[in-house]
Amino acid sequence: MSTFVIGYYALLLTASTAAAYFNKRQPFMMLFSLTLVSFIVGIIGGAGALRAIAFAAAALALAAMVSYAFREFLINIVGRELGKELRTAPLTAAFGMFVIFVYAIAGIFAPWIAPHGEAEVISSAFAPADANMLLGADQLGRDMFSRLVYGTRNSVGLALTATIAAFVMGAGAGLLAATKGGWFDNFMGRFADVIMSIPSLIFALLMLSIFGPSMPVIIIAVAIIYAPRVFRLTRAVAGNVVVMDYIEAAKLRGEGTGYLIRREILPNSTAPLIAEFGLEFCFVFLLVAGLSFLGLGIQPPTADWGSMVRENATLISFGEITPLIPAAAIALLTVAVNFVVDWMLHRSSGLKE
Amino acid sequence: MGDILGLVGKRLGLGLVILLIISVIIFFMVELLPGDIAEAVLGQGATKENLAAMREQMGLNQPAIWRYLQWLGGALTLDFGSSIVTQEPVMSVIGARFANTLFLAAYAAVIAVPFAIILGVIVALLRNTVFDRVANVLTLTSISSPEFFLGYILILFFSVKWGMFPAIASLSEGMSFADLLERTFLPALTLVLVVVAHMMRMTRAAIINLLASPYIEMARLKGAPPWKVIVKHALPNAWAPIINVVALNLAYLITGVVLVEVVFVYPGVGQALVDAVSKRDFPVVQACCLIFAATFILLNLAADVGAILTNPRLRHPK
Repeated sequence: MSTFVIGYYALLLTASTAAAYFNKRQPFMMLFSLTLVSFIVGIIGGAGALRAIAFAAAALALAAMVSYAFREFLINIVGRELGKELRTAPLTAAFGMFVIFVYAIAGIFAPWIAPHGEAEVISSAFAPADANMLLGADQLGRDMFSRLVYGTRNSVGLALTATIAAFVMGAGAGLLAATKGGWFDNFMGRFADVIMSIPSLIFALLMLSIFGPSMPVIIIAVAIIYAPRVFRLTRAVAGNVVVMDYIEAAKLRGEGTGYLIRREILPNSTAPLIAEFGLEFCFVFLLVAGLSFLGLGIQPPTADWGSMVRENATLISFGEITPLIPAAAIALLTVAVNFVVDWMLHRSSGLKE
Repeated sequence: MGDILGLVGKRLGLGLVILLIISVIIFFMVELLPGDIAEAVLGQGATKENLAAMREQMGLNQPAIWRYLQWLGGALTLDFGSSIVTQEPVMSVIGARFANTLFLAAYAAVIAVPFAIILGVIVALLRNTVFDRVANVLTLTSISSPEFFLGYILILFFSVKWGMFPAIASLSEGMSFADLLERTFLPALTLVLVVVAHMMRMTRAAIINLLASPYIEMARLKGAPPWKVIVKHALPNAWAPIINVVALNLAYLITGVVLVEVVFVYPGVGQALVDAVSKRDFPVVQACCLIFAATFILLNLAADVGAILTNPRLRHPK
């Protein structure tokens, strides 16, 4: 038994006893079940497994501290009204906002942050990490870290553009269908049903095989695939608003469709639409990442996370984790957006359980 | 009973119509190509004679409607024409692969469904505790990760570091069933991770929704023990949403399988589709798309029919 193992169990047991003494029921259950799990894991995996658990717990604690500080920071810089709202945000949502903030900085200032160009060959293929290259080189000898930073701009930018396109199409059609009603509403509804009954990845592959993989084709394909989902939600949300008295009053005043949509319906359905935008962004981002992993996304030499994973996948069989970093970057952003959306949905639905 | 059959029949008819519309979309999308298939395949440098010969061979001189009807008629008898690249009949390329894909999806489903439902019910009963929050974060993480990320992590640990399972799921003739299960364990596990997260969240939502209904509160107030509330009052009404959840996620498996097959080099339809897309082999792409779309629609149909059968309220639409 090493000092690490003794310290590990001593810390866990002290913490759980303290939690029990101060009547903190849930932290106690959490800590003590972790202790019990550690016994089993420790017997099977030895000190290494316990070290992994300790490392994960430390990372989690660090993330929690960063999120807490970031939330306080946000509360201090925004106005009083927004600050009040932000105080209700759980730590997970604050963590999500922090991650989105970091990605935005990396994407906007990519050329200044990255030490090398995205297509610049600076060493031999798969060269290991050194002082010049934080994460080593990729299959052509380009700096992995620089490509990762540029990838933020390219991958997230593409997904964001495609989501906005899908949203403009879907929400526009949904609002129009809700206000106009009649045959237009019916026709659009059936049309959305048909598009939604084709699996999204399959439909995207079909379109890319026909028009070839290029940025505009990907954006249009994704917009066509996801617009029906946005349409459905917008139609449902706006449908509830359209039957209100104040809409009737506006109609009697003689306002046109454009005014009704812009000044009456849209302001009253923004909350669910913003949450939906976050959710759609996650789906689109994963779809685009999948496409570029299959070699059908942004074409080389532009840096892109999905294709970076595929190009360097051979390294995995040597036990290297560098090819997984772009994939982890994809997962982290999607998780972050989901955390924020979760909080927003919870708030706007008024669910307290 | 008669009205149930009528409703189910109506739903089946609607599914057929949607499938027909999708076949139209799949076929006529290729017609949207600038020029035609022959020009797209042969490229810029093709001579007039080559183009004419290719058009003759593929029957491109006939009107599009006529070719569509021929293609659809062929598809009904599982004859999708022949591949442009290899000249082989499409069915001989993807026929056996389709069985492999179904096997992988079924393998994943057999593990995932019971696991997800049990976990979903447990998490719903423990809602708002620390365990529920941890499960929430874990499932969100799993849903948010691209399939290839999960796949490569499993390869890194289970095959490279610990050497427990093979990283490449190649199949050979005459493998024993146990061998087959071992070879395809990692791809199946990747699919399980993705689907379990989805299913758990949906089951949890369905059960919590149910536990909020007045008759459950009534049962609690009259003093029924907790297990009895669950088993006698909640469960009979939970089947409908659970069946729905299962069918929807099986449909999700069908698309998730494409990326997983590529990661593990598994000989399935998904990989054939990706290869055909990069080679612009349109007959194969069309056939794969039609097969995937048909399976997807069939499973969604099963979800709807299951819902109609288990929820009497749906039998009398307003």
